[in-house]
Amino acid sequence: MHSALVRLQNVFGFFTTVAFSVAAVIALSSFISPQTPNASIQLRNVQVVKGRPHYYSYKKEEYANIRFDLDADFTTLFNWNTKQVFLYLKAVYPSSSASEPASEAIIWDAILASRTAPWHTNHYIHPDPKSGKKKVLPKKSKKAQAASKTKPTPDDDLLFPRGELHLNNQRPKYQITDITGKLQNKNNVTLEIGWNIQPWVGALTWTNWQKLGAWEALKGGRSEAFEFPEIGAKKKVDKKELETEKGGEGYRLEVGGEQPIRKPSKV
Amino acid sequence: MSDQLLEQVRDAVEGQIDFEGQRLAEMLTTVLLGAAGIIAFFVGYVTQDIRLSLYVGLAGTALTFLVIVPPWPFYNKNPEGWLPARNATTATSHLNIDVDGKKVG
Repeated sequence: MHSALVRLQNVFGFFTTVAFSVAAVIALSSFISPQTPNASIQLRNVQVVKGRPHYYSYKKEEYANIRFDLDADFTTLFNWNTKQVFLYLKAVYPSSSASEPASEAIIWDAILASRTAPWHTNHYIHPDPKSGKKKVLPKKSKKAQAASKTKPTPDDDLLFPRGELHLNNQRPKYQITDITGKLQNKNNVTLEIGWNIQPWVGALTWTNWQKLGAWEALKGGRSEAFEFPEIGAKKKVDKKELETEKGGEGYRLEVGGEQPIRKPSKV
Repeated sequence: MSDQLLEQVRDAVEGQIDFEGQRLAEMLTTVLLGAAGIIAFFVGYVTQDIRLSLYVGLAGTALTFLVIVPPWPFYNKNPEGWLPARNATTATSHLNIDVDGKKVG
């Protein structure tokens, strides 16, 4: 510590140790923050159609479009160390051979931002259960809009408390297909919710189906079993019923979605 | 003249402090940074805002750099003096200088 350079190095060296230790304690503090998640999922409508689920599908295959209700309270997943929660709803159904584990396919997902996360276009905006539309915020000047884009969304701008969801007859974000190309008449299908908690510092944690210390097990979280109906069981399929929900991640090239512009063919 | 100026610049950059000052600087580093870390955690935890933790921690670190790195006068309060000049062969004979238990000088 005799010269300024040596003191500089010593202070910086100990600073890194302190920074790491504080980060470690913050990471551990997540585990003493109680979690009491609950979710109830109900199937609204399921349809199986044969067609091209994506514009890049090279052959026709069977795909399912599942609508659901979701009432969930994940407010306790947000503690001071939570950056965002990635929520996903998956359809779980037995594989064609009994020796293989069940197939899982995600039909809907959302990124729930915490109070401290800066604004991002991919963050989930809860639709208004009355109008079914996304909440229209009061008009702001362009300057105010640009400024608010770097800041986290304030609690007052939310329809429900952070982490609370009340979705009614929600369209899926993704239509699902099976690797065999066949989905109809499959039995024992359930919808299951899952999540990742992404902290500011520390470990990524998954859905807790079991109680772990202060973290209660998820209550509910699974729908009752249903089956994928046979194609053509319902005479006419309304195209509107097969629509998918677009997230904030930009348009996706799917059935009913944006189509690529093709040059008119010369015939 | 330029030599003298250069000497001053070198002294300022090197920023040497005395032995007691070094002990004090070492102790202050540990105490200040340790306290900054502990305060940063609790401030963030109580306000439930992790960014506050970051800012308190960084502010504490900046303060520590400011206190420790420059050769403040309070680090030079116990300068180690030179031995008296040895102008005659017998001048130092009344001093006891031990080097590793051996008497020298």
